[in-house]
Amino acid sequence: MSNRWLIGLVFLIASCQIEVELPLAEIKGEIPVIEGIWTDNPILNEVKVTLAKNFLDQDSYTVIKNARVFIRVKGTDTIIPFNYFESTQSYRPLDTDIVAKVGESYELLVEWKKIIFYGEGLMLEPPTLDSLTYQYEEKRPFREEGYYIKAYGKIPFKEDNYYRIQVIENDTLKNEPEDYFLFDDTFGFTFFENGLELGYAFEPDDRVRLILYRMNKAPYNYLNQLLGLLFSDGGLFSPPPQNPDTNLKVVSGESSVLGYFLVSPILTELVIIKEE
Amino acid sequence: MSSNLLKSILFLFCLSFSGFNLLSAQNEGLFKGQVVDVTNSDLLPGASIYWEDELSGGVISDLDGNFEIKIGKLPRRLVITFVGYEKTIREITEKEVVKFQKFFLKPEELSLEEVIIRDRRPDEQIKNLETGKATIPIETIKNIPALFGEVDLFRSLQLLPGVQSAGEGTGGLFVRGGSADQNLIQIDGAPVYNASHFFGFFSVFNPDALEKVELYKGNMPASFGGRLSSLIDVSLREGNNKQIRGEGGIGTISSRFTLDGPLFSEKSTFAISARRTYADVFLGFSSNPDVKNNKLNFHDLSGKFAFLLGEKDKLTFSTYQGSDFLGLERSFGLGWSNFVNSLKWNHSYSKDAYFDLEAYHSIYNYKIEFDDPDNGFVWKNQLSESGLKAQWTLLRGENLQTYWGVHSQYYHFAPIALIPAPGSNIQSIDTNPKSGVLNNLFAGMTYEISPKLSTEAGLRWGLFNQIGKGVDYTYAGGIPGPDVAITDTLNYSQFENIKFYQGLEPRIAFRYLINSQFSIKTAYNRNFQYVQIASNSSAGLPIDRWILAGTYVPPVRSDQVSLGFFHNFNQDKWELSLETYYKDFNNIIDLRNGASVLFTDNVETELLVGKGWAYGAEFLLRKNQGKTTGWFSYTYSRTWRQIEGVSQGLKYNPRYDRPNDFSIVVNHEFSNSWSAGLTFVYSTGQAVSFPIGSYQADRQNVPLYSEFRNEDRYPNYHRMDASITWRNPNKGRKWRGSWNASIYNLYGRKNPFAYTFGDIINDDINYDSSTDGPVTSIRPGIIMTYLFTFLPSITYNFEF
Repeated sequence: MSNRWLIGLVFLIASCQIEVELPLAEIKGEIPVIEGIWTDNPILNEVKVTLAKNFLDQDSYTVIKNARVFIRVKGTDTIIPFNYFESTQSYRPLDTDIVAKVGESYELLVEWKKIIFYGEGLMLEPPTLDSLTYQYEEKRPFREEGYYIKAYGKIPFKEDNYYRIQVIENDTLKNEPEDYFLFDDTFGFTFFENGLELGYAFEPDDRVRLILYRMNKAPYNYLNQLLGLLFSDGGLFSPPPQNPDTNLKVVSGESSVLGYFLVSPILTELVIIKEE
Repeated sequence: MSSNLLKSILFLFCLSFSGFNLLSAQNEGLFKGQVVDVTNSDLLPGASIYWEDELSGGVISDLDGNFEIKIGKLPRRLVITFVGYEKTIREITEKEVVKFQKFFLKPEELSLEEVIIRDRRPDEQIKNLETGKATIPIETIKNIPALFGEVDLFRSLQLLPGVQSAGEGTGGLFVRGGSADQNLIQIDGAPVYNASHFFGFFSVFNPDALEKVELYKGNMPASFGGRLSSLIDVSLREGNNKQIRGEGGIGTISSRFTLDGPLFSEKSTFAISARRTYADVFLGFSSNPDVKNNKLNFHDLSGKFAFLLGEKDKLTFSTYQGSDFLGLERSFGLGWSNFVNSLKWNHSYSKDAYFDLEAYHSIYNYKIEFDDPDNGFVWKNQLSESGLKAQWTLLRGENLQTYWGVHSQYYHFAPIALIPAPGSNIQSIDTNPKSGVLNNLFAGMTYEISPKLSTEAGLRWGLFNQIGKGVDYTYAGGIPGPDVAITDTLNYSQFENIKFYQGLEPRIAFRYLINSQFSIKTAYNRNFQYVQIASNSSAGLPIDRWILAGTYVPPVRSDQVSLGFFHNFNQDKWELSLETYYKDFNNIIDLRNGASVLFTDNVETELLVGKGWAYGAEFLLRKNQGKTTGWFSYTYSRTWRQIEGVSQGLKYNPRYDRPNDFSIVVNHEFSNSWSAGLTFVYSTGQAVSFPIGSYQADRQNVPLYSEFRNEDRYPNYHRMDASITWRNPNKGRKWRGSWNASIYNLYGRKNPFAYTFGDIINDDINYDSSTDGPVTSIRPGIIMTYLFTFLPSITYNFEF
């Protein structure tokens, strides 16, 4: 957050921006990117496998369609096979009735070009999401006027408190860097019990869906570091940019790998804003 | 007394040999006045007074500085001259002639070489034993063109060889490969923990308040220690004991004022200074409420009070207080401040034996407030250092000087406290305090072995204890890490020992005098540092977390060897030096990827420890005398770090590794009224990491970086600044003003401040979806942010 103050200050004093060209190095070889999401909500369950590209390359990202993807219930022989679907450009389980169960650990295995990538995660118990309320607010510091939603719930856990909230407004996921809402227990959870205000001003008739994840620490750290990278200007006041620490590894063959495997219970709640 | 006698002799001399007439009191048609020294109000007998258009009708001031001169037809220009003083010419009108007038003569402006002669002999660099030491006279610092017209100490030091800057506009110092927290910055012996304003754009030092500054690039005397890379020893100015004097300036973004003079009697003096910015005053005029409701300011207050307690004792009290405040939308505030005090007692046993006792206390704190009904909080932290230092000095003839003493330091880093506002939903955070005691014994000597060979040797022995009250943790396997379980929590009571370290810090230097103009010097020194900042950004932030050496954080150590060649020529008008050095760092820290250190009690879990090294050659050619003064410096240097967990465990350059660094500083006096300054700097671009690619994750286009840190470079940095100063011709008035106009970045070089790598929509880097229509194209691009192109400023300076 401090970097953002500084950037604001600098812009206040005197700054200009221009587009420039720089001699950038290029990727050597192919670097697969795996995003695995395994939840108790079949709509969200998918694995995306793509390739990283050179930074200034204007082609779209290459989607790997010929990988072998499955999830295994750890400590068992139960395997959940995934197939590639062109419509979503991702791998999805054939049997959508199979979802993650609380207390089970899952292993993601992706085989591509004789290289096997592996990740694992534990399905945690979900917190409680009681209700969503909304209220009209006048313009406030750092907030525009409009309808603001509050989420009420309870988080009773003493550990593994890593959460994410996503907001879908009228079927559009709010997914800009400033829309990320990741939180842990650093500041306690009273704010959730007393009503956590979402930082968006909504309008009458907006359909707003809230999705709450409870993650393991590794994917939480990954998303946190990814967010830090998206906000980093690479300047003097930023830490040196580094790729987020993935929780995936190569167990057979030689390759780099990017991405993460996320196992999480999902809580959703819908509210439609009515004019007061 | 001697001054008055001299003036009387001069008076008699002028009386005897000049063609002027000393006039006795007459009646009508006479203009009466008095000639006075502006610096101390001494009366000036023997000054010559005449009308510019009538040289033959001049008079001489009497023993009381009084004179009377026939008026003639007005207006006329009256000229007053006196040996050793600047000539004064004032136009006298009908209105002025009826009153008794005082004419204040100013001693002839000390030229730069004279300033240096006073502080430093012309052949000082040849004969002394100091290597890696640099000084810039305060007068020179004031003449260097300045950003926003704010004359800045740190920015001036950056122009010296071996001193790198963090980047465009910032005043952070990186000395011989060391990080910014490895500099010991002190005001009259007391440390300053955050010596910057506006996030580093300006330093806390008001140049009017300073007497001198000395920079030791690692090879500091044994009486100083505690930091690896440099000592920046700043002395506040003492007041004069004759009369009240003032000086100040009104600048583009700030104004400053200094007052000094006798306090109670001639045996005590004071000097007080103040400086404040007024950027927020201008923000208030904005019609845009988003701008109008913001605040942005800093101020500095300093004072020095000196008391002569007899012929052998002197007591000095110095104080500094400064703070910054940034407020946004009346609900968010960030402020930080330093409060530094020191008390010194100097006692002279005899002309060969001295004793100095010094006590100091330095506090740094910051505070962040967020005024929000649901999530409001106050987040604050404070750290302090208190110290007591006693030093004895004994001179044995001209060949041997010895000193020894003890220096005790107490560090206290208060718990970081996050206090929810009433009704706030967030939970309070309170870490545990950290305290430490560092006791140092030191001794040193300077010995002239032969007329050509001299040595300076010293030893400092540091004994450090991290002490309670506090908490320490035990980790599974004994090594802390983010995913390592804590197996035990140990509570320590007040002053109970937690961890002990000790280290000997030898320093030795030799100088061999080849002839009166050429010497060779070599030095070795070791330093330990027991406090440091846990951060991996290059420039410091006010909320940086300082940590003490402890169970899992060993003290940092450096060893440096240096060799220098020093040459003076053209009657010591020119100085030439070439110094080389190699420096080794041990137990350097860095942070893990994504580390969070601000609110944790377990900072050690976020740290990585490794080593570093640096080497370089520093060339300096300086002209100290004449109408044109300045220097040319060039440094070739490299800095490396090697830390397991960073850059695959291979060596890498920190951001401030800038192999080629080149500066030119020129000042020229065209006349008594006009002078100009010019600086040019050039350095290799900062070592950074640019993305090598991009990938998609979580629906974001994410830049992809190499596993190796800082393999890329910003473009080379260069900039030219210029200033011109006009001083009001001396009219004999007490008030003297001057105007200074500066241009920062004269030719508008667009030096990068930062690069962002992202998507450019519709070929518009400022695309706004709410005003710029639908998205028609998206492509990757690089956007450079740059600051301060062709930035003019103007300052009015005055003294009285």
